[in-house]
Amino acid sequence: MGAHDIEPVSLALLFLFLIPVLWVSGRFRLALNRTILWSTLRMTLQLSLVGLYLKYLFKFNLAWVNGLYILIMIAVASYTVLKSSRLKISKLFGPVFLSILLPVATILLFINAFVVRIDYLFDAKYMIPICGMLLGNSMRNNIIGLSNFYSGLKESEKTYQYTIALGATRMQALAPYFQASIVAAINPILASMATIGIVSLPGMMTGQILGGSIPMVAIKYQIVIMLGIFYTQFFSVCLSLLLSIRQGFDKFDVLRKELLV
Amino acid sequence: MIRYDDIHLDYAGKNIFSGFSLEVSENEKLLISGPSGCGKTSLFKILLGFTRISSGRVLYNDREVNARTIRAVRRNLFYLSQDIDFRNAPVNAVLDEVFSYEPNRGLVPMPAHREHLMKMLDLGDDILRQDMQKLSGGERQRLGLLVCFLLNRPVWLLDEPTSSLDKKLRRKVVDYVMATGKTVLIVSHDDIWRKADNLKIVRWS
Repeated sequence: MGAHDIEPVSLALLFLFLIPVLWVSGRFRLALNRTILWSTLRMTLQLSLVGLYLKYLFKFNLAWVNGLYILIMIAVASYTVLKSSRLKISKLFGPVFLSILLPVATILLFINAFVVRIDYLFDAKYMIPICGMLLGNSMRNNIIGLSNFYSGLKESEKTYQYTIALGATRMQALAPYFQASIVAAINPILASMATIGIVSLPGMMTGQILGGSIPMVAIKYQIVIMLGIFYTQFFSVCLSLLLSIRQGFDKFDVLRKELLV
Repeated sequence: MIRYDDIHLDYAGKNIFSGFSLEVSENEKLLISGPSGCGKTSLFKILLGFTRISSGRVLYNDREVNARTIRAVRRNLFYLSQDIDFRNAPVNAVLDEVFSYEPNRGLVPMPAHREHLMKMLDLGDDILRQDMQKLSGGERQRLGLLVCFLLNRPVWLLDEPTSSLDKKLRRKVVDYVMATGKTVLIVSHDDIWRKADNLKIVRWS
């Protein structure tokens, strides 16, 4: 049993609400109408395309194609993280790519092998949606972590340098910024884990129930995905901060300003 | 002991100074005077390796200050910045942290010595429990001087060290600094320094 299909015309009906949104946004002079239209259009086109190529990915289900697809997803995520954090892409792409790849790949394969226990570890049906959820969430928290770290450091560079002058190592002087950025980055997921089921019914669970799964199965998958997201976010933000620090400072322990866009 | 050798400094495409040379001997006390914004503080930051010069070289004990030597050089310098940029945390925690850094281990002050210096600087015990951010400019400055005197490094770089102190305390600080066997570089607009004996004055034009 699958979810009841949606007719294209019925789907189009939902776009009618854009009219009052655009009207209100115009009245309030939010200067957002172009962005609203552009984002809505991109979302619709991108998801339609995903629908098309997922159909073929699922049909061929080749390990190398699925793996390559995931690498592309991670590359786009890394690019978006750096662009949104206003950091130089050419210098930090490698560290951020690795920081997302390592935890995502580890957690993803662990879930497939030991939790869901599927025979074919690279099965597109499991690998791609789970990876997408892990990645989307890691992307958000890496943006929070990295921008918090580098903007905090830029604002209080004198304090950082003073700590170095007092005798601290680079890592000792960076510790307060590092701690504050990790806390800021993982606080949203911790809050979300603490209220899930009471305040919100998560998307994956809703999707599975609509798709015909019984609630207990949907809940088990939701627990799997929440833990997966949490672990991935935690390790990914720690790694991206640590690996970017190697690139971010010169031999005099001074922040490389050219990294900040 | 410290030598600035024909150094040039540019910042944001603008030349701040060029062809500056200066030699400071061991135990010398030197006041650098000149108009605001001419780059006096930069001299300290260059020696500390936080500001990079466009040309020239800086030597500490005849060794060039560069990426390889900077950490060894820094352990000999105490920098009292104008705003005393300690990180924000309770004063006690910041002091403990400073003495936990590798170059400062083994320098944990004897309580009697610390009390003596705190008394001289008019600092009560209650200040130790306060947050750094809540201290007044004068309190921060006195705390900065306390750390300077406790760490007792060979070279002191003091940027406006008496700007927030009252007259009595300024006198005490000047006397203490002038009596130490340290090498001291001072940037200050405070005339009280000029009255001190044995102070070499470098006028920056």
